[in-house]
Amino acid sequence: MVDIRRISTNRWWHKKNNWGLFIFLSFLFFVRISKGSLYKDFYYFISKPFWPGQFQREVLTKSVEQEFLIKLKQLEKDNKRLREILSLQRVSDSGSISANVISRKTGSFWRQIILNKGAKDGVEVGNFVVGPGGLLGRVHDTSLFTASVQLLTSPESKVGVWVERIQSHGLLVGLGNDYPKVIFYDKNIDIKVGDFVLSSPASTLLPPNIPIGVIQSIDKELRAKKSANILLLGKPQAIDWVQILKVEM
Amino acid sequence: MGKYFKKKISLISFLFIPIVYLWNPNWVEFLGVQPYWALFWLLPWSMIYGSFDGLIIGLFLGLILDSLSLDSGFTQIPGLVLCGIWFGKLSIKSDIFIGHFRYGLICSIASLFCSSLYIFQILIRYWSDYSIFLYLSNLKDIFAQVFITGLLAPLICSLLLSLFQKSKGRDKLISFLHK
Repeated sequence: MVDIRRISTNRWWHKKNNWGLFIFLSFLFFVRISKGSLYKDFYYFISKPFWPGQFQREVLTKSVEQEFLIKLKQLEKDNKRLREILSLQRVSDSGSISANVISRKTGSFWRQIILNKGAKDGVEVGNFVVGPGGLLGRVHDTSLFTASVQLLTSPESKVGVWVERIQSHGLLVGLGNDYPKVIFYDKNIDIKVGDFVLSSPASTLLPPNIPIGVIQSIDKELRAKKSANILLLGKPQAIDWVQILKVEM
Repeated sequence: MGKYFKKKISLISFLFIPIVYLWNPNWVEFLGVQPYWALFWLLPWSMIYGSFDGLIIGLFLGLILDSLSLDSGFTQIPGLVLCGIWFGKLSIKSDIFIGHFRYGLICSIASLFCSSLYIFQILIRYWSDYSIFLYLSNLKDIFAQVFITGLLAPLICSLLLSLFQKSKGRDKLISFLHK
């Protein structure tokens, strides 16, 4: 009788060590089955305070920016060389002239701004003016100390543009309001709301690919034409400083 | 100096019209549109000096404003000349009595007339190239200008009229009212 009781108390599941070993092996099995996800999640939490900080992020961003800048410079060089071969307009190497807007007429039919830099500072008729956002207009007239800029919204403004996505050319026409229209002389063109409109590479007045605006709405087809309203990126009614850029052949 | 200034107030204020036109203060605009500043000066001046002088000064004003705006294909001269003649007919010597608030109505009509003439020039020039419906959105700007011009006219025209009368040395309006 005594022997039977001794045997029953000595069963393996009555030993704590065995249970510990069982739990450990189960854990290892779970880790193996879950491909270490538990470990990875645990590591996520304990390593969080030691992640790469703002400084390291800045270093990386700067490196990426430098890489883009080098690529951009190279592309600009290629572009310049190709445009020279094709005898197209390009931005002058002599840089830009910063100017202050001293008068603006952006309401009603008269759409113009007057800048505080004129012939004395080297501004010439035909130079183009960009502000934050993109192209604003072209220098139409200069005095000794001022330059008058005809805005893209002026009824007399007509600029060659293109939609880069579909590589189609059109004519940007100012209507005397805040929303000029692009007229495409092809009614089957596939323009969409949100397409970016840039200055045309084929333009004889402007350098290529200067951002101008975004297609806001598309009108119904009229005869063989298709037109779209443009939301300009540059806001002449709110801009105080602009850049005057020269165009060279 | 002050006496000379008072005597030549009409000439000096005339020289300020292009300045105000270029200044374009944004605190008096309505829906982004400025009043037709030239009319504020033309109305009292023509009322005092008559239709012929109104015609001449309308021509001068138109020439100056055209030279300041870059749209070389369009002109403000016809509108201002015709308004100068019309304002002269409302001379203070005539039997028509113009109250302060009627300046607002007159300037509103004149603004509508001048703006319409201007947009007609645009439509005539581009009707063959583009649909004229493209330019219909400008109607909003015309009516905004009519409104803001009419709103400010009673204040500015009354002030200028009294200044011009004093500079001329005879208060015709008061003598007319006493008749």
